[in-house]
Amino acid sequence: MLENLLRLFSEYMGTGLITVWFLFSVIYLFVFEKKKEKRVMLVYMPVLALVLFFNPAFAGIVYSVLDDEIYYRLLWLLPVTVTTAYTVTDIYGRLCGRKKIYFAGVAVVLVIVSGSLIYSDSNFHAAENVYHVPDSVVDICDAIEVEGREVTAVFPAELLQYVRQYSGTVCMPYGREMIVDRWNNFNELYNIMESDVPDASELASEARSQSCVYIVLSEDKEIAGSLAAYDFEEFGKIDGYIIYIDTLADLSI
Amino acid sequence: MIIIGIFQLILWELLIPTAAGVFFACVDEKAAKPPLMWICGQMLLWTLFQISCVPFVLLEIDFVYFVRTYTLIVAVTLIASLAVYRSRRMKIKRQRLQIKYSLSVKVLWSVFAVLLLLQLILSAVMTYSDGDDAFYVAVSTITNNAGTMYRKLPYTGGSTDLDARHGLAPFPIWISYLSEVSGIKAAAVAHTALPIALIAMTYAVFYLMATRLVKKDNIPLFLIFTEILVLFGNYSHYTAENFMIARSRQGKAALGNIIIPMLIWLMLVIAGHLGEMRRISASTWLLLAAVLSAGCLCSTLGALICCLLVGISGLCMAFTYKKWRVLIHMALCCIPCAVYALMYAALK
Repeated sequence: MLENLLRLFSEYMGTGLITVWFLFSVIYLFVFEKKKEKRVMLVYMPVLALVLFFNPAFAGIVYSVLDDEIYYRLLWLLPVTVTTAYTVTDIYGRLCGRKKIYFAGVAVVLVIVSGSLIYSDSNFHAAENVYHVPDSVVDICDAIEVEGREVTAVFPAELLQYVRQYSGTVCMPYGREMIVDRWNNFNELYNIMESDVPDASELASEARSQSCVYIVLSEDKEIAGSLAAYDFEEFGKIDGYIIYIDTLADLSI
Repeated sequence: MIIIGIFQLILWELLIPTAAGVFFACVDEKAAKPPLMWICGQMLLWTLFQISCVPFVLLEIDFVYFVRTYTLIVAVTLIASLAVYRSRRMKIKRQRLQIKYSLSVKVLWSVFAVLLLLQLILSAVMTYSDGDDAFYVAVSTITNNAGTMYRKLPYTGGSTDLDARHGLAPFPIWISYLSEVSGIKAAAVAHTALPIALIAMTYAVFYLMATRLVKKDNIPLFLIFTEILVLFGNYSHYTAENFMIARSRQGKAALGNIIIPMLIWLMLVIAGHLGEMRRISASTWLLLAAVLSAGCLCSTLGALICCLLVGISGLCMAFTYKKWRVLIHMALCCIPCAVYALMYAALK
């Protein structure tokens, strides 16, 4: 259990230096801070919170009630940003003249070097629209929605996490749960859709068995055979995707 | 139509919370009234939302009836806040801060404002791909479309038994409510409008903390450093700062960046009053109860984390100031959290 807790703390620390500055700040405030309310909230409370976090008995109780995946969020009790910012401001206030400016400059550089710019994360990119989903999802959903009823469509894996955010009436036979490996979900249609060269017969059969009116495939996706032979005709091409519609499906309300 | 929708969002995310915050306008005389009232008012509205929404969810009543009920509750709250403002107007105006800053401090405030504006703009024009949105934003979209709350599978769309566990922290339903009153799609509210409001709210809470921690001339420097620490907080995907920028629209981000800092600020206020041998007002305790309840809205983990924070802080205060009665008041404020925690345990 303790190894697990240390691993969680290590993952929370990431590259580590900001947490080091935080711990330095706590020590600094323990030595120099005179006001009781600041000592209570910025020294005593974080220390006790850390002691509690690393307590295997406490962790065991929390694990039994909540998912162990989110235990690390107890570390949000540590006021890292506030304590570090206050320490910098306090030291700044104790200095005189140009030393203040030099210190502030050094502090800024240290934080920049110790941390990582959040916008440089590979998951950040320019939004294509106000919904923050790919334009292709917006256009495809708008094209296939049927007023007054839900429709089921199967999408490629790269679009799965976006469809239901944008449209509440476009349903899917499977969703994001398929692309999270550790959840170990199985769906035959997903396996067919994500295979290198799906067989048209299998794809049409499985899609129909899972009530899919539409099949959405990337234009680059090669299929063995023709979906048209199995009554899935091309409905449209949108933003690099081909939409096939089951001509045997009843779309009446 | 879109202009009206944007105005509605400004009304519900800024003006109405500020008006509702008049109940707590005198909690802390060190803070400027507008941000204090805005944040405290939002806590009150979130509390009212939590208290009113959860029964509708558990009883499987349709969303449209909840919208009408909550709107009525807010209307009554605003009428009450107007009456309170009239009775306290002179006291509020007397406590208005007279602030004069030097040129260097004004420059620092400008730097803070520029960095804040940058974050707000980037939150709207940049997107962070997070898989959890496939659940939470989908819940909001489904609620607006189908009119049901937590009775459809977010990932696929089929009907399901009530997801009561997630329904105890109906933050996505708050997004659905904003979408309903503004006429703007839930996904747009969640990804574009809400991050702007919630990031601004976070810095408003940091401002409140700054007024308790540093001299007024150093407040902008403190805030600039909080901005730098947030902007360079990608050293780990698990920090609250990372959640704040990358996952602003999710309840857990609000828990880590608004609720928890609010609680820390409130604890500073209470500890400060204990140190000055001042009586802690009823509105302060009510605000504490409201923030704790709002924590339950944001996340099912909110009850545990918030009560832990209050409990640890309360014990430290009791030992430091030798004022043990404060623990009783704090325990009473934690009752809503205890109720939701018990409900969660029962439903698990």
